[in-house]
Amino acid sequence: MSLGDTLRLLRAKRGGVTPLAIEAATGLSARVYRQMEQRYRPAGDEDAVRVLAEYYDVPVAELHWRLEWSRKDLSRALARATADARPLTLELWNGQTVAGMVRWWDLGAIGLATADEELLVVQRHAVQRWQPRAEE
Amino acid sequence: MPENLWALREQKRISVAALANRAGLPIGVILEYESGQRSIEPRHLNRLARALYVEEAQIRLQSEPRPGASPLERQPARNASQPTAGRSAFIAPKTKERPLRFRSEPLPPGPARPSQLAALDNLLQRLERSRTTLESELGRPVTELNRAELAQLLRKLQAQVQSSRSPARHRAYLPESVDEFETCYLTAAQEAGATLYFTLFDGSTAEGQIVGFGPFSITVRQADSSELTLNKLALVSYRTAAQSAGQARQTPGHESEPPR
Repeated sequence: MSLGDTLRLLRAKRGGVTPLAIEAATGLSARVYRQMEQRYRPAGDEDAVRVLAEYYDVPVAELHWRLEWSRKDLSRALARATADARPLTLELWNGQTVAGMVRWWDLGAIGLATADEELLVVQRHAVQRWQPRAEE
Repeated sequence: MPENLWALREQKRISVAALANRAGLPIGVILEYESGQRSIEPRHLNRLARALYVEEAQIRLQSEPRPGASPLERQPARNASQPTAGRSAFIAPKTKERPLRFRSEPLPPGPARPSQLAALDNLLQRLERSRTTLESELGRPVTELNRAELAQLLRKLQAQVQSSRSPARHRAYLPESVDEFETCYLTAAQEAGATLYFTLFDGSTAEGQIVGFGPFSITVRQADSSELTLNKLALVSYRTAAQSAGQARQTPGHESEPPR
């Protein structure tokens, strides 16, 4: 799950507090929070992550590492794996690890053909990390 | 020596309408001045003098009616030197023949623009064709085509590109911004009546045949005929029933529990 998806989940757990209210409560500059939550590319810096971790009362590391695993990075890895016809391994949020050839991918899901040629549809927001990572 | 307004106007070869337009006065007022029905008002005199490019003193304030003219003359004839007998010289004939305007022959189209050739190469690449095959069809090099011919060829190729481009192919270039692949998968599963096995974040599983789905949820009919709507945010993955048997074989790299 990308940083944006994680922030969205945390915000939902807080009862759907608005981004504007979060920016006001944390002192983040205007639209920073919304960019961190909504942009596919990495947004925000370490200070912003630390402030948000304090706001949501979660460990900083829990949010910090996600800066390196953005949604755009996953798209790049999916595109590279598809182009190179190489298998991709996905570490999922619930602790599972799945591997297979990428048959398709889109906005919300990934069609992964596992070793026995069966198609497993993985929700993108369930993906935490992946291997191999594609260079930018 | 002041002259009648109509005489000055005819000297300048302009119509009543043109004079009225230049002076910013109503046509009716001009006609009344020219017919002598009323004298030119001082505030209009300057306007008329400027419109006729004469001095104010050259205009007679009370014009004398033109000999043989009706009290209120209307639109003047353009060719005032040849008045029409029995009619006012200022009534323009409707079927006046105009001199034929000389029109030169249109210039031949110029040579093809470099941008046209670049566009041609781009279209050929998208159609997966080469310039050589196109030239063999045309019977001559594309560089010999003129601008108009190449424009027509580009339109033809553009139409081919448009017709050959399927929506799926077009949208697949941005898979990150569409959800059609998952939609197609779910549609096929729904039409086939396949049972899907879902793995949720909380570790639970669910299964059923798809009743409907949207961007954010999937509704399935479970074995006991009850319907269950699953929020996609709560899902980790899913697969069809036929595939679940394979999943039970513990495929390498897939460590999820086999569905019930």
